Amino acid sequence: MKPILEFKQTSHLDPALTDPKNRALHADKLIGRWLNTSRATRGIAECRIEQQGELFNISLIGVGANGPIEWPRAAGRLLANLDEEGGQRAVALVAIFEFSFMKAETYIRLNKGVLVIVLYLTFLDQSGRSNYVTREFFYGEN
Amino acid sequence: MDFAQICDLVEPPARTEEPMNLSAFAGTWVNSNADTMSIARLVISESGGKLFLRVYAIGPEGVIDWGAREIKIFTSSPSSRQPAGFTCGYDFDFAETTLQGMIMKGLLVLAQFHSFKDESRRADYFVREYFALAHGRF
Repeated sequence: MKPILEFKQTSHLDPALTDPKNRALHADKLIGRWLNTSRATRGIAECRIEQQGELFNISLIGVGANGPIEWPRAAGRLLANLDEEGGQRAVALVAIFEFSFMKAETYIRLNKGVLVIVLYLTFLDQSGRSNYVTREFFYGEN
Repeated sequence: MDFAQICDLVEPPARTEEPMNLSAFAGTWVNSNADTMSIARLVISESGGKLFLRVYAIGPEGVIDWGAREIKIFTSSPSSRQPAGFTCGYDFDFAETTLQGMIMKGLLVLAQFHSFKDESRRADYFVREYFALAHGRF
């Protein structure tokens, strides 16, 4: 007898969510070194995504005043997209980068070969800066 | 002032007695996809200087009201006072859903992240859809 699934919207009941084929999410296209499409960016210059077994590590490099600023490495959590892009199940990575003065909630996905990184930044210090959202685009090094 | 990217090395926005203008978000946002299997509409309202969001999702037998939650506002830059996006979370016990919204050219781009906490072995997944503000003019 099939277990009764709890849900809050119809997509929670999509059979694709329990299909073994879909549980083996393919994040191959996300792996590698990604460079900002804008050379004039004052935000993130580079993103590197690595996979070790089922774990994903994300490294970001920010543009600094006197050189690049390496962000603390964050663990990425893989999410499936029920819609397909280009005939394949798309995936996304979510991660949280934590600094003593700031937290960046990140959502990374691939759109037609372009890596899109959306950052929701929260300042934890008393600097008075506004929490803000930003979106940047990256191309694969290779 | 600490920063991890140079665009964050800014003077903070001038604090005036005027509260942040939240009216750009308030209203009923309707999914552009009439066949959605996820969120049909969002109602965002302001109360006491805060914004609240109420989700109405599509269920097998009709609309499901998720209830209202306070949303966290994000601007477009660290020196801005103009709201540009928000985040919000729902804990349903069997699953947690995080919503991230961003206003772009008057359109609300909403990302939903669903994580299952029960024994159903459903894959965590995301949905990205577009919502337009119901203006009622025509």
